[in-house]
Amino acid sequence: MDNVLKRVSGVALAGACVMSASAAFAGEITIWCWDPNFNVAIMKEAGEIYTQSHPDTTFNVVDFAKLDVEQKLQTALASGTTSALPDIVLIEDYGAQKYLQSFPGAFAPMDDVVDYSGFAPYKVSLMTLDGKVYGMPFDSGVTGLYYRTDYLEEAGFKPEDMEGITWDRFIEIGKQVEEKTGHKMTSIDLNDGGMTRIMMQSAGQWYFDENGDLNVTDNAALKAALETQAKMANAGILYPATGWSNYVNAFTSGNTASVITGVWITGTIKAQEDQAGKWRVAPIPSLDGVEGATHASNLGGSSWYVLSSSDVKDEAIDFLNEIFGKDVDFYQKILTERGAVGSLLAAREGEAYKEADPFFGGQEVWQMFSTWLNEIPPVDYGIFTNELDTAVTSNLQSLVQGKPIEDVLKAIEDQAKFQIQ
Amino acid sequence: MAKARPGNLKRFYDVNGWLFVAPALLLIATFMFYPIIRSLVLSTFSGRGMMMKFVGFGNVVRLWNDPVFWQALTNTMTFLVIQVPVMIMLALILANALNNPRLRFSGLFRTAIFLPCVSSLVAYAILFKSMFATNGIINSTLAGIGIIDTPIEWFTDPFWAKTLVILAITWRWTGYNMIFYLAALQNIDKSIYEAARIDGVPAYRRFLHITIPMLKPVILFTTITSTIGTLQLFDEVYNLTEGTGGPANATLTLSLYIYNLTFRFMPNFGYAATVSYVIVLIVAVLSFLQFYAARERS
Repeated sequence: MDNVLKRVSGVALAGACVMSASAAFAGEITIWCWDPNFNVAIMKEAGEIYTQSHPDTTFNVVDFAKLDVEQKLQTALASGTTSALPDIVLIEDYGAQKYLQSFPGAFAPMDDVVDYSGFAPYKVSLMTLDGKVYGMPFDSGVTGLYYRTDYLEEAGFKPEDMEGITWDRFIEIGKQVEEKTGHKMTSIDLNDGGMTRIMMQSAGQWYFDENGDLNVTDNAALKAALETQAKMANAGILYPATGWSNYVNAFTSGNTASVITGVWITGTIKAQEDQAGKWRVAPIPSLDGVEGATHASNLGGSSWYVLSSSDVKDEAIDFLNEIFGKDVDFYQKILTERGAVGSLLAAREGEAYKEADPFFGGQEVWQMFSTWLNEIPPVDYGIFTNELDTAVTSNLQSLVQGKPIEDVLKAIEDQAKFQIQ
Repeated sequence: MAKARPGNLKRFYDVNGWLFVAPALLLIATFMFYPIIRSLVLSTFSGRGMMMKFVGFGNVVRLWNDPVFWQALTNTMTFLVIQVPVMIMLALILANALNNPRLRFSGLFRTAIFLPCVSSLVAYAILFKSMFATNGIINSTLAGIGIIDTPIEWFTDPFWAKTLVILAITWRWTGYNMIFYLAALQNIDKSIYEAARIDGVPAYRRFLHITIPMLKPVILFTTITSTIGTLQLFDEVYNLTEGTGGPANATLTLSLYIYNLTFRFMPNFGYAATVSYVIVLIVAVLSFLQFYAARERS
């Protein structure tokens, strides 16, 4: 009897030792993100790689719509029910500061583990608050002009004609494309602030100045961005998209001749295999007569954040650091498979970034995008991007219908002022 | 009377009675009264996310000066004033037509008209989006029969976007109201109609002077529920405009504004609670007015 007891306790003790040795890393990491073909697939891939060296760690990648991720996250944070929260969540860059500032303590700082000097600086500054860095920088939204060579050739343009153009030139080309081929040049959803943000940032401006004050009525880049969009709408070269799926359908169905957006759209474009070889990529047009106007900009992009309430917090941070913070091969894989341009600078030295893509007629698109990535004028997104976006989209229509630009900017500022208290 | 009082008091102090209702009372208190009172308290706070400060009536002042709030209120009221009467009339006419005993396949028609309100919200929003898209079936049909030359911009023109929302909610809820009228119509004594017919009263007058007065309580009920429903209008505009309330805030409703203040913008739960109390107030006032207007005069 005594013997049995000894043996049992001995086994239990041995078991406890084994447990404690691996206890540091033996849990399930729950991750919330959106876009099954992009973020979700990439996170699953990352999880598989990590599990190879850490077999006790399992992953539960949950796929929501982006709005649902934000809504669930915000509800759980506000109500204080941390058990409802995941361990890692994806947050779009525009909203990062909003979350960090309005829910202090909710996210885990990672600067004692992660070496942030290896990342694109603009990404790191987006997730820095009071000297602490939160989050793992993920994909970039570097923008490009994707266009159909077949339509443009029919209208009499060569790929050289699309390089380094201005928006006015773009509209001229668009008019000819419309006339000769019957296809609209591009599509914009005027209820979405995306195009305004692309154009504005390409000239190094944002809705706010460096002090965080509203920068609307005197913002030359914003003014030019709005005027350009109105000009395009009135020139008849625009397919007015209604909502995201309609917008995507406009170019995947071969309706429009070009699309100007973030690099993350590459996967969607390449999914149309019958259009292989017909697409090319060029830098986006620049704003005419605006100081600091460039051909590089950013749209969207997001990063991973660890919740400080997570009971596998250290494990989650270690996972992000191992894969997203160091694994250059992983970045090659998600680039070729998903078109994800990460913001780890070392990853750009990898093989995949040098490859020519037959889908784009043999262009070295990734090399081009990473060059443009370096040229994106850095701006501080601040915490009120959604408010200003709404103010802009609710007044853009009146500009298209002929209201003077000064009045429109004033109206945007008036509406924004009440929303950003 | 004198005897009843101590009896009532005795009942009031009876522990057994309280024990029976305690679970229900507890649930009601937790899930109804507590949120109501808590949100009222919340509406005196303002701030970013969890960083809330007591502001007293600050939110009300902000509300008063907020152009977007007034726009949302105006939109909501526009939907209410146009859509509810149209829908009630349509439902009455449909119910009256389907109540005709000589109508064949009436069960099929009733089901078809009732079906929209049990269909999935998201599915129908997607359907409407594709039907009313610039190159959708509605525009091509209208162009095909020569009514329009250029496609109607259902989603980008403020007027047509409002019209679209009205069309959508009318399509969805008319059948629901119709069912109430159909049920009430079954209860009207057929001899009244027979008497009217013998007296030579034409059909439209029978409808106006017999059916409508007899349905008055049901009409009141449906008007109030529709009013409340329209004041809380959210799903349709959210799904049709991808949560923006666009174009140009033309379809922004109070509920969508509350959503934006909580989830889309920098979260300000206090201010959002204040806006939701505006809806409560308007519902209370309008319901009272409708009851008052429809009261039985003796």
